[in-house]
Amino acid sequence: MFYFEKRQQTPGYLKALIPIISLLLGLFIGALAILITGINPLLVYKGLFLNAFGSWYAFSETLVAAVPLILITSGLIVVFRMNVWNIGAYGQYIMGAIFSSYFALFASNGLSKPVMLTVMVIASMVGGAIWALIPTLLKIFWEVNEVITTLLLNYIALYILKFLMYGPWKNPSSYGFPLSKTFPDTAILPIIFKGTRLTIAIIFALLAVLVVWFLIKKSKFGYEVRVIGDNPLAARYAGISVNRNIIIGMAISGALAGLAGMTEVSGIVHYLQVKIGADYGYTSIIVAWIAYLDPLITVLASVLFGGLASGGYSIQITMRVSYGIVGLIESITLFSLVGAQIFLNYRIRWKNGSS
Amino acid sequence: MDEVILETRNITKVFPETIANKDISFKLRKGEIHALLGENGAGKTTLMNILYGIYLPTSGDILIKGKKVIIKNPLDAIRLGIGMIHQHFMLVDTLTVLENIILGLKEYGFVIDKKAVKKRLKEIENLYSLKVEPDVKVWQTAVGEQQKIEIIKVLFRGADILILDEPTAVLTPQETQSLFKILRKMKEDGKSIIFITHKLEEVMQIADTITVLRKGRLIKTLPKSETTKSQLAELMVGKTQTLDFSRKRPKSNEEILKIENLTVHSDKSLKSLKGVSLSVFKGEILGIAGISGNGQKELVQTVVGLKKAVQGKVVFNGIDITNKPPRYIAQAGINYIPADRLAMGVAPNLSTIDNAIMRRYYRFPLSKRGIMNYRKALAYTMMMAKAYKIKLDNPFAPIKLLSGGNMQKLILAREILENPKLLIASYPTRGLDIASTQFFRQKLIDIANKGKTIILVSEDLDEVLSLSDRIAVMYEGRIVGILNAKEADKNRLGLMMAGVKT
Repeated sequence: MFYFEKRQQTPGYLKALIPIISLLLGLFIGALAILITGINPLLVYKGLFLNAFGSWYAFSETLVAAVPLILITSGLIVVFRMNVWNIGAYGQYIMGAIFSSYFALFASNGLSKPVMLTVMVIASMVGGAIWALIPTLLKIFWEVNEVITTLLLNYIALYILKFLMYGPWKNPSSYGFPLSKTFPDTAILPIIFKGTRLTIAIIFALLAVLVVWFLIKKSKFGYEVRVIGDNPLAARYAGISVNRNIIIGMAISGALAGLAGMTEVSGIVHYLQVKIGADYGYTSIIVAWIAYLDPLITVLASVLFGGLASGGYSIQITMRVSYGIVGLIESITLFSLVGAQIFLNYRIRWKNGSS
Repeated sequence: MDEVILETRNITKVFPETIANKDISFKLRKGEIHALLGENGAGKTTLMNILYGIYLPTSGDILIKGKKVIIKNPLDAIRLGIGMIHQHFMLVDTLTVLENIILGLKEYGFVIDKKAVKKRLKEIENLYSLKVEPDVKVWQTAVGEQQKIEIIKVLFRGADILILDEPTAVLTPQETQSLFKILRKMKEDGKSIIFITHKLEEVMQIADTITVLRKGRLIKTLPKSETTKSQLAELMVGKTQTLDFSRKRPKSNEEILKIENLTVHSDKSLKSLKGVSLSVFKGEILGIAGISGNGQKELVQTVVGLKKAVQGKVVFNGIDITNKPPRYIAQAGINYIPADRLAMGVAPNLSTIDNAIMRRYYRFPLSKRGIMNYRKALAYTMMMAKAYKIKLDNPFAPIKLLSGGNMQKLILAREILENPKLLIASYPTRGLDIASTQFFRQKLIDIANKGKTIILVSEDLDEVLSLSDRIAVMYEGRIVGILNAKEADKNRLGLMMAGVKT
């Protein structure tokens, strides 16, 4: 028989071990699912790994997927640290894509590339921030739970996107496919490594990490975020405006998710469509958790999950293993992570007689 | 009467870095009230948590009715007939009293068999004159009532051994007496009771046997008839200390704080302050006495800006500070030691540094243009620790690892170093051991002697009486009287606190 005993402090090795074991557990359950389909899971994982990290091109594709994850997660970290649960990165990402696409599609006349791209970056951040501020204001003024509102706003954002894609913004020569006209060249992010799809968005992502790292570790705002996250009553007592910081945090979070949407349409897809980088908004939540809300670890975790995503797409084509496997691995990992929280605060002891 | 129902043999509990219990052997007899006396940190609660299955001992045995047992969790404890009434009640506010009582019990069905429960309640009521309203929601009941619910909960589970952890901390003198009546009835019925406390008065009133713990060790077990208060105090502290405050009562007519007709709603939108008016004069220590929950918290929190007044006015030093934000009020010169240090005074998982700078992190040199200077913050923290004798092994470790006394010293230091004109201290010595309490009271006197004004909220009448110049008594959201400390005595204050007109 075993029982739980409360810990005074969490040992460091455990913090390192838990994400790794969680991921292994995700891979293990994923392997069982693959086994049921009659394919050798080891071959699949080998393929997954090679398609994610096996060559420079494969790795560059992994980074392509990591960029939006880094951008979104950096923002999520800020609000998660205040115990504000923004589940709406997906919707904010879509709004960022829509806002920036508007300028690419309808206001590109006579603007040079740097100006155009700057406008699109700003538009996307404003779009994402607005979408994040709706649930924030609802939370502050009417105490509406942000988990529900941010989640539901994802669907509203998606339907707005669908409306535009099937309606007013539809490309007349797309043969019925729900997508917009292709962006003019001035609205496309420049590639930085020839022969890959890596654009200067990777610089945006690294900048975002640095800014968030600085905000959290060095700034007055970061100090206030820490106090709010640990004890909102103490924060109020210390004269910290909890609401003001939540608004700022959600604006940052939304803006970075919006920017991720822009880098996807402007850097990768080059037009707006209904399916744009579907799962980044949700995967980022897992990335944030696995990185313990630390901006620097986020980069590592994003590359890992970027690899899972890009490798997953490849094996779907080459080995006919459904991409759903990746979703399965991700969700089991998240479950294990959340379940493992108990080990951070408690330790297991075995009943052993009277000693 | 002589049958030993529970015994511990050489119980030792080691935590990383501390030994909370060392070789504790004590016996609880059937039908006795056994007081466990000791300062905070003496190891009383650890020992009880071992008996209740929250911790396993590092070594040593527990025997119940002479049989060796292992208590792995509270369920085991309950099965063995041990019931615990915690200092902080473990009740679900939104459920009814009845639902709370049977919480976790399977016998009463998926759809609660209320008739059976009420029948059982009636039996308990008849036996111990313990009466509660079963269909009322817990949040609607008073504190004294909630304790009765906790006791019934334990009796309901058939406990023969009851552990009460500081049960009188939240009660009026009158409620305490009625609790004692219940305890005596239970004793007559053959129940055995462990009564944890650090109040000597109560020990002498209720206990049959007294065990004194100090620094994790059992110092002595002795029958009440063979001891005195002063002997117990000596055993508890190790050495006797005298209360001697040299206080010069100021003669100032300058009103530093003026509260007019202040009305505040509680969280349940009931009126918790009903038109309070109060003047505080420069340089005085004004004590506010009252049982907790009679509006003291609302009064103080409205003054410092944490609660909104719906009516009335607060003027400080000539400035209207009614419903101004907390930082504005702090900068105007009012600092505040909150009643519950873990709930409001600190962010428990953040470092001592982060907590030490809470009042000034936004000012130069700790921050400049939005950027923090943590090196300066560390220096400030170390200076604070040195000046206030705070035992600080690692300023980067979470502050929750500090002892209650050290944490409270840090809060006091943090507030005093802001050089306030008015310091409001709510229950500043609650839960502290005698040495820390002494330190605190001396500090408060010192700063008052330097001309600062202090509002001291406390339910410890000795404290209020020995420190204050004037004492305001609160009852049900009103100030029912203000006495000069010289003309006040415990009895009179106690009656006023209970709402009896004098």
